[in-house]
Amino acid sequence: MFDKVLIANRGEIALRIHRACREMGISTVAVHSEADADAMHVRLADESVCIGPPSAADSYLNIPAIISAAEITNTDAIHPGYGFLSENSRFARIVNAHGITFIGPTADHIDLMGDKIAAKKAIAEVGIPVVPGSDGEIRDDQEAIAVAEKLGFPVLVKASQGGGGRGMKVVHAASEMAEALSSARSEARSAFGDDAVYLEKFLGQPRHIEIQILADGHGNVVHLGERDCSLQRRHQKVLEEAPSPALNTATRAEIGKIVTDAIGKLGYLGAGTIEFLFEDGQFYFIEMNTRLQVEHPITEMITGIDIVREQLRIASGTPLSVKQEDIAFSGHAIECRINAENPLTFTPSPGRVIDYHTPGGLGVRVDSALYASYQIPPFYDSLISKLVVHGATRNECLLRLRRALEEYVINGVDTTIPLHLDLLGQSDFMDGNYNIHWLENYIAEKQP
Amino acid sequence: MSKISVDTDLIRELAALIEESGLTELEIEDGDYKLRLSRGGGIPVPVQMGMAPAGAQAAQAATAPAVAVETAAPDMADHAGAVKSPMVGTAYIAPEPGADPFVKVGDNVTQGQTVMIIEAMKTMNPIPAPQSGKVSAILVSDGQPVEFGEVLLLVE
Repeated sequence: MFDKVLIANRGEIALRIHRACREMGISTVAVHSEADADAMHVRLADESVCIGPPSAADSYLNIPAIISAAEITNTDAIHPGYGFLSENSRFARIVNAHGITFIGPTADHIDLMGDKIAAKKAIAEVGIPVVPGSDGEIRDDQEAIAVAEKLGFPVLVKASQGGGGRGMKVVHAASEMAEALSSARSEARSAFGDDAVYLEKFLGQPRHIEIQILADGHGNVVHLGERDCSLQRRHQKVLEEAPSPALNTATRAEIGKIVTDAIGKLGYLGAGTIEFLFEDGQFYFIEMNTRLQVEHPITEMITGIDIVREQLRIASGTPLSVKQEDIAFSGHAIECRINAENPLTFTPSPGRVIDYHTPGGLGVRVDSALYASYQIPPFYDSLISKLVVHGATRNECLLRLRRALEEYVINGVDTTIPLHLDLLGQSDFMDGNYNIHWLENYIAEKQP
Repeated sequence: MSKISVDTDLIRELAALIEESGLTELEIEDGDYKLRLSRGGGIPVPVQMGMAPAGAQAAQAATAPAVAVETAAPDMADHAGAVKSPMVGTAYIAPEPGADPFVKVGDNVTQGQTVMIIEAMKTMNPIPAPQSGKVSAILVSDGQPVEFGEVLLLVE
């Protein structure tokens, strides 16, 4: 096991990683920008190194600074968290070249899953169902229209180097294709440096269901069940729940087996999440994330497995601590992503947290780096807390969630807590009857 | 209770550093070991040695790596003559081991003159004096790891 791990991230996930390391007796190094000098995880870590000015490009994305920090602290391994450099294969290669372990999959698998066209092809080859679409990259408008007519409109133009909901355009008819392609290409070129695009059938009312897997280097692959992340605004997840209200035990076991067999064939190493669109009882692969995900806590609550600990174990060469038959799903869990934003307009609201009081009690978990008097910096994303609630049943979980949200105090900045309380008053949500368009439709209806 | 051992060489070295740099206070922390030297009334004398309990870690400010010297950092960072490190790395006060240091306290320097080097990822990066003046303090030792923004020396 590692003696020292450097946490190449910030905010709540840096604190999460520090906690897992501390529980395993691993020393931590917190690298941080000047804006994060007073961050909670920086205060708790064994060592800290300031690596740059506030801008992410000069700090959390600054590979030479992070590597230098690792060298001067004699770090054994680097955990990249999520976002930032977590799916940057160049970073993974540089870390390894310095004799430091990158806590994550191999750089080759990061590359494979980062290229959405190649990923889809590789995934289809190992037996996972995919969204019907073009056979690879679309070269010109004629090809696009021909493929779209065969699939049936509407279709989606997607950037090959995109992901996380970015770089997508819906096309309803052949007449819209030329413009959609051209604008998708130019957005992709400026956002990802690559204008390769492909087509997929646009699914009308799917749910977003993803499967968490863990694979060690000894041929063991397990799945930890699914997460339903259909409640999204502008492709950003707002609330997630596990298990999905749309799946039963049989379906879960079936898709779980398909996924673990496929991941075994790929020879993948580490934690990963396979994301699907689920419609009319069918699963359609959209992408694989080769990193820890924001919403991992709900899986931890229903399985009792510490996913970050498993990542550390896998990266240090230890076999998984569980087999598939040992994994049991117990109860129901929901996570609310709480952002420092106005709950109606979603305008960001950085600033000082004056009063801070977290909810407590059975089945309530708060993953947050906030504390009273903390100054939320304006330079990074607006996620400030994850309220995670567990109950024996979905109903108990919902009641507990309402109770916990009512207790939670974050004064001094706007937060989206009122939005989450509002959702708990909507019968569609309470019934589990929603898809990936539901939340945006609901928000649009609420506008004056 | 075991006898507390005092590293008198270290204390003498630190007292000399206080004298040379013109600092009034110096504090070192390494795990449970905490040492604070304070100059009062012009007489540099070690006054305190304390064992900080392990549990107090969470309440303390972030510690610098290993036995790095923690100076009265906020004051120094705002000091007009502070020369701050532009990168993470290892500071060297001489061009090579055994060579004379680039500058000593009391030297006059011209703007752009190399006053120190920072090694980062196997490359040596010269640190130029941002303005002409006199070196009034050198705040890092040879081979000390430094972080971004750390004050290296004062040029006034």
